[in-house]
Amino acid sequence: MKRLLATTAIATILAGPVFATELTIGAANVSTYLDPGRDHSNVGSQFYYNTFDTLVEKDHDTTETKWLPGLATEWKLIEPTVMELKLRQGVRFHNGEDMTADDVVFSLNRMYQATFTPYKVRARDRLENFKAAEKVDDYTIRIRVAREEPLWETLLNLQQVMIIPEEYTKGLTGDPKVAEDDDYEAFSLKPVGTGPYKVTEFVPGERVVWERFDGFWGEKAPLDKATVKRMPETASRITALKTGEADLITNVAPDQLSLIESDPTLKAVSAPTALFHVMIMNVNHPKLKDPRIRQALSLAVDRDTLNDALWLGKAIVPSTHTLKEFGALYMPQLKTFEYNPEKAKQLLMEAGYDGFEVTFDTDPVYYTNGLLAAQAITEMWAAVGVKGKVQVSDKWSGNSPDLMVRNWSNPMYFADPFGSFGVMWAPHGPSESEGRFNTDEAYAKTWERFRFSKNVEARKAAYAELMDRIKADPPVLPLYRPFESWAMNKNVNWSPKPGNIPYVLDFRAGSISFATN
Amino acid sequence: MWRHVVRTLTKMVVTLFVIVTLVFFATRMSGNSIDYIIGESVTQEDRELLTRYYGLDASIWTQYLKFLGSFLDGQFGLSFLERRPVSDIVAERVWPSLQLLLSGIGLTLLVSIPFGIAAAIYRKSWIGSAIMTFAFAGYALPNFVLAILMVLVFAFTLNWLPLVGNGTPWHFIMPTIALSGALIAALTRFTRNAMLDVLSQDYMRTARAKGLPERTVILKHGFRNASITILSVLGLQVAGLAAAGSVVIESIFSWPGIGDLLVSSAIQRDYPVLQFAVLAVALAVVVINAVVDIAYAYADPRIRLGGA
Repeated sequence: MKRLLATTAIATILAGPVFATELTIGAANVSTYLDPGRDHSNVGSQFYYNTFDTLVEKDHDTTETKWLPGLATEWKLIEPTVMELKLRQGVRFHNGEDMTADDVVFSLNRMYQATFTPYKVRARDRLENFKAAEKVDDYTIRIRVAREEPLWETLLNLQQVMIIPEEYTKGLTGDPKVAEDDDYEAFSLKPVGTGPYKVTEFVPGERVVWERFDGFWGEKAPLDKATVKRMPETASRITALKTGEADLITNVAPDQLSLIESDPTLKAVSAPTALFHVMIMNVNHPKLKDPRIRQALSLAVDRDTLNDALWLGKAIVPSTHTLKEFGALYMPQLKTFEYNPEKAKQLLMEAGYDGFEVTFDTDPVYYTNGLLAAQAITEMWAAVGVKGKVQVSDKWSGNSPDLMVRNWSNPMYFADPFGSFGVMWAPHGPSESEGRFNTDEAYAKTWERFRFSKNVEARKAAYAELMDRIKADPPVLPLYRPFESWAMNKNVNWSPKPGNIPYVLDFRAGSISFATN
Repeated sequence: MWRHVVRTLTKMVVTLFVIVTLVFFATRMSGNSIDYIIGESVTQEDRELLTRYYGLDASIWTQYLKFLGSFLDGQFGLSFLERRPVSDIVAERVWPSLQLLLSGIGLTLLVSIPFGIAAAIYRKSWIGSAIMTFAFAGYALPNFVLAILMVLVFAFTLNWLPLVGNGTPWHFIMPTIALSGALIAALTRFTRNAMLDVLSQDYMRTARAKGLPERTVILKHGFRNASITILSVLGLQVAGLAAAGSVVIESIFSWPGIGDLLVSSAIQRDYPVLQFAVLAVALAVVVINAVVDIAYAYADPRIRLGGA
């Protein structure tokens, strides 16, 4: 870092505003593959935004929804179910190829009409309404949906539909005219996009090296080079920051923050993560069939106390399944979940709870504070007379008929209730298909109104109805929105932007800078 | 001699086969890797699709046969997560681990043999006691504690030494000491004891009586005979170092070696990688033992000539 500052100073003197800047990032995890299409993991999300672009860009400085031109400069509906997009001209991929309608159509259809299994799976829960993309001319395309789509921009801004080069990808293995599964597998080790940084070195699970891409169509990247290295141990990451081996580190645990703050050369930034740690309850377990039992298990949990004890009070306890990032659909006025031990006791009595044991499954480490929360929750149950037992296992039990209660998380995959609650709790979605949640025709109808109404008020009303259903027959209790911390050298000015999905390491122009003294 | 080599090699192959089989079934019992590959939100239908894509839908016996078959093509299968040949992934990791191991063995020999001999010769003076005190303390200190103490002092507080990875020669200092600390202590003690045994032998008195210089008596007659014991102890300890020590040390220092790979592939349930990484470590242990066995036979004529 000292060398970096010296270089910067000299460069500034010699060449005015030209910076020579390198950054080393110590990350708890580095992806084992880099393909935005098949990925929606927290680890992967760190890497895509620097490397790839979407057709529609979002203003990430705000949680308000503001769409900006991306690789598409304008878009308009030409039929209720057909969107026509004008593509930006002069966009180049990192390998030097020009981006044209062929690349865009290829990128979109690899998801919309997926043949590669990992794409199929990722497309189904969020892109099912999208049928095909077709080329009109070299810089015009059309996208066809099955039903009128109220979330056009949202779903064109998804990480999964970032644009990749057609010829390059097809030519990676086998027949260069055909997109084979192996081409996609090979792409995920040698990713090429149009973003401000190109990946110049990728050692899966170990290291990602970005260098500024001078052919980028937008404002040039502020860093010459950024290297993300895997440093799995928290103590090692913090020490590396102190020794100057890293300028920025990820995943600083809440109890380590004081260590950073006590060092005058370091600082930390924290932000609430756009996901909920949740407690799920199997509505089909014979002993939990009576909704009053599950309501009681939920009402007995004092989430504010969990927040104070486990998250220094910095987590956010929601009144309903809603996040600020939802913009117009953020609905904190709904009161779906509350703490009321007296009511819990009464419901247990009415339901004739006979003292049977309720098991709470948790992985030992997967969710930060997950095991501690599980233990605290069973204590809270004991306070209303429920006999709870924590079962620690790293096996996913969410699809087991024996599941009673366990922890899980509901991330926000994109900024809409459809991108969070909607993915997990849709009719025939993951929860129902695993057999621990039931929907009926009425639920499906309400869900349809929530998903497809063009009017925001209608969507909100439908969402409120869904929340009433969840309250009356609860399969889930969102515990809290955890917060995530990053630490860095004092000279680095960086923080996660409020409009991004969680964990994105955004080093684009305007997202990172250095103190000059 | 040859019969001994053949017997050692046969034992080696059988041991490896048993280990590989145990690892295969143990990993299958410890959880379904499909959950780690796909994350949190997929439907049951999609889970089945992916299970098929990764070849995890076949019966465990079919998978086992396929796994054994994968040895034949030399690639050892595809990593679940990285989708490239396991042999490529493990190959990248072998050299860093080997570098660390060799520098650890080098440091051990360089320190413990002179100090062990000195401790034997000066056993009655303060020099001998001082060396043995350090050796006992060093043996009692687990390597991860030593590692963390060093990190705390030399990286965290003093900022003298780098911590992460294997980029420069400076990066070798802490992991090498942490890896070999206990071994240095153990081998110093063994060297001392072995030398003490030898020093009281009749042939030593004979050598001195012949009027040989003390230096020749100690090194040629004394150490040469003590080296058989030292060698076998070193062999056993190095094998342990390669297996257990590197896992801990490589994790602490983010050393991109096999030990680190073992930990990450176990956490992520990347079975093909885990299996082959375990196999690589087992192979190293078995080979080291075999080499020691053969070297031991070579050093001890009673074994070399087919007695035992």
